[in-house]
Amino acid sequence: MQQHEVVVVGAGLAGQRAALAAIEAGREVAIVSKLHPLRSHSGAAQGGINAALGKEDSVDTHIYDTVKGSDYLGDQDAIELFCREAGPTVVEMEHFGTIFSRGPDGSLARRAFGGAGFPRTIYAADRTGLALLQALWEHLGTSRFTLYEEWELTHLVVREGRVHGIVAYDRKTGTFDQIAAKAVVLATGPFGRVYGRTTNAHSCTGDGVAVAYGAGAALKDLEFVQFHPTALMESAILITEGARGEGGILKNGNGERFMGKYAPHVFDLASRDVVSRAIVTEVREGRGFPGGYVHLELMHLGREKVESRLQEICDYARVYAGVDPVVEPIPVYPAQHYMMGGIGTDAHGATNVRGLFAAGEAACVSIHGANRLGGNSLLETLVFGKQAGTAAAAYAASAAPPELHAAELDGFTAPFRAWSSRTDGEDPSRLRTEMQEVMDRYVGIYRNEADLLEGVRRIRGLRARFENVRVVDRSRVYNMNLADAIEVGHMLTLAEVIVVGAYARTESRGAHARTDYPKRDDAQWMKHTMATRGPNGPQLSYAAVAYTRWEPKERVY
Amino acid sequence: MANSTVRATFDVYRYDPAHDAAPRYQRYELDLAPHTPVLTALLRIRAEIDPTLTLRYSCRSAICGSCAMQVNSKSRLACETQIGPELARDGRIVIEPMRNQKVLRDLVVEQEPFWRNYDKIRPHLILDPTKPMPEGRENPMTPEQVERFRETPRCIACAACYSACPAVEADPGFPGPMALAKLYRFVVDPRDQAHQDRLVRIQTDGLWLCLRCHLCTEACPKDVRPSERIRDLKEMAIAAQGGTEPGSRHAIGFKENIRERGLLSEMKLVRQTSGIGGLLGEAGQGLRMVRKKPEILKRPHRIEHLEEVEKIYESLDHREAPP
Repeated sequence: MQQHEVVVVGAGLAGQRAALAAIEAGREVAIVSKLHPLRSHSGAAQGGINAALGKEDSVDTHIYDTVKGSDYLGDQDAIELFCREAGPTVVEMEHFGTIFSRGPDGSLARRAFGGAGFPRTIYAADRTGLALLQALWEHLGTSRFTLYEEWELTHLVVREGRVHGIVAYDRKTGTFDQIAAKAVVLATGPFGRVYGRTTNAHSCTGDGVAVAYGAGAALKDLEFVQFHPTALMESAILITEGARGEGGILKNGNGERFMGKYAPHVFDLASRDVVSRAIVTEVREGRGFPGGYVHLELMHLGREKVESRLQEICDYARVYAGVDPVVEPIPVYPAQHYMMGGIGTDAHGATNVRGLFAAGEAACVSIHGANRLGGNSLLETLVFGKQAGTAAAAYAASAAPPELHAAELDGFTAPFRAWSSRTDGEDPSRLRTEMQEVMDRYVGIYRNEADLLEGVRRIRGLRARFENVRVVDRSRVYNMNLADAIEVGHMLTLAEVIVVGAYARTESRGAHARTDYPKRDDAQWMKHTMATRGPNGPQLSYAAVAYTRWEPKERVY
Repeated sequence: MANSTVRATFDVYRYDPAHDAAPRYQRYELDLAPHTPVLTALLRIRAEIDPTLTLRYSCRSAICGSCAMQVNSKSRLACETQIGPELARDGRIVIEPMRNQKVLRDLVVEQEPFWRNYDKIRPHLILDPTKPMPEGRENPMTPEQVERFRETPRCIACAACYSACPAVEADPGFPGPMALAKLYRFVVDPRDQAHQDRLVRIQTDGLWLCLRCHLCTEACPKDVRPSERIRDLKEMAIAAQGGTEPGSRHAIGFKENIRERGLLSEMKLVRQTSGIGGLLGEAGQGLRMVRKKPEILKRPHRIEHLEEVEKIYESLDHREAPP
């Protein structure tokens, strides 16, 4: 058994920033991550990080854009904190060593992004996540902490509403252990792999979110799933919104620039939910290209601009789609990209479980509400990672020592032994594929009651089959078959919460578009969905949205 | 999008040290489109044929650096290597773990030494306490200064270069191409205050062990060109400190030597590199060489048209200095 004051699970930007804050607050910290920190999915973020640093721009405009982008489901007090912290956060990352792109005068370069009133997205070519992840990890390396590298989370230990630690295993040796902690910060990222067509990495399986739910934490707004408008047709690999920020345009199969019909003021730079629905509508109404996609054109921007500012996506288009964006259009179609929902927290990362904090995409504060703006997620990881780390450190400073019992480990790991001892049972890969097919088909961009009911039925069927999951790999060393089973279990849990929440929400708001309830219904539904684990599936309740200054208005781009 | 498929044969390295006496190669055959990435094929093998096949992978878009391995003996990212060209060239696809790192299981290798080398170059800004960062604002950095990083910010630490590097194999004291490219990134960073110290230290910490074979640059999936950045570091190190190390003295001696006569004087070069004492230390080796090749004792003649060599030197001297 191991013991630390603060344990951070997940080592992407949110987890690292939380760890740094807790260390700076004087706590003894461990980071547990199933990937080496530099392999985290934060590194895949391309387009940039928002901060209203331009002379013409203001924090208030950033707040307003974020509130409007959220379709008035974001908590305005948290959004105000978030936008005020943006400038200092970006400057801090520059001081930590991030290599940002620069303007001619040497200041931080900014590009336009969807749903934003001014160019306020600071970037490092089209690998902003990688630039931030490297700089933060290298800066964090000057502090003292313990790293559990390639350890995967399986349980959160909660008794009487308070966290006592986690259970995890070392992938390299197959050894399970309990790690006691006064405070735990979950920063395990998203669970986009519940969908088949997703921009997310294979590792985005929602481990922390599912484990928190299993231990009694409330999940917030899971039905709000962002589909990015421009993912490569075949592989669903992301093509950054920065491509449109730099002037890229979408065209349908008739060669028409169609976004004007859907967003008469800003065209291709409307909010992501709007652009994704527009593309789906064009294709469904027969104006897509054969095979069902549209074109993203960058050719008119010129080779120099495309190859310098969009260097990585040039490679992606060439390698994964066989097209050269300098001279050809890129075939794109929306793909699952971001989870607005997550472990419900306040603006300081605290959950409904004492000693449990969450940050980043695993958490839902909520600042993104029903739809996240591009450039706001990298910012969220850092702002709320710091908040959660600071709050966890403060809690740990005065909390009683955690109580874990070595003898209990056996009880936690018993199911895994059962999976491995079966001679017949369900293949985790098969379950994962079927789950992804269900989510793609029934819980996509446009939703309706019949589809969602079918989705609930099928996901519950898969959950029942999961009870008989079988692990055939008997090696203890790097047993990825065991990881497959653990992760598909997590994802089935979360898929059910997504579908149940989407079925219950009889309105259209942000990324949640119900064809049978096409209007936003503020009277009934301006509230957060809170899901807790019940004996027969998720139990839903609702929580008020926090208001400060911005009255709900119709959302037009 | 091509619908036609080809029959692809994969011979995959399998080894679980806890259970297997020796590594073996397991054959898998699948029908796949020619543009299918190797990683996609391996994940299909895991999902449909053999869930015990073990590898690291995550983003599948060449940005997380997890899936470096040898594909037909080249260190590559599996996620961005298409099967078609591999099959066309070699008829099958041999998948093996990266080199220069201990195999934990199948395609998963121990990367602790790789990460330790990275940590050792002090990969973080080193500041001078008397020169604080600007309060509340970013450090200015011109686009030209950003340009000096070259392609090093693209590094994803996949270790393909480390796998391909013969100097890593030959000498555990060599930090490896990735760590040196990372060091370069800090040496050219205008915010860093320890350029000189970094250059002085690396002279004795393995910089001169690079063999200049450029296999790292060939292996790098992100065009970081580690060998070119190592060359830059060597030039900067000499500029910073002069020829204090055998490696730098060798480079300087080589340059002077050719300029003088247009030919290499090997005797002189050994003396320049190792000094008189070093020359005596190499005496045994030297005598063996003399026995085989007595002409090396002769002072090389001056080549005709030495002025042409001088012109090359002059044009190189006027070349843009490394950053």
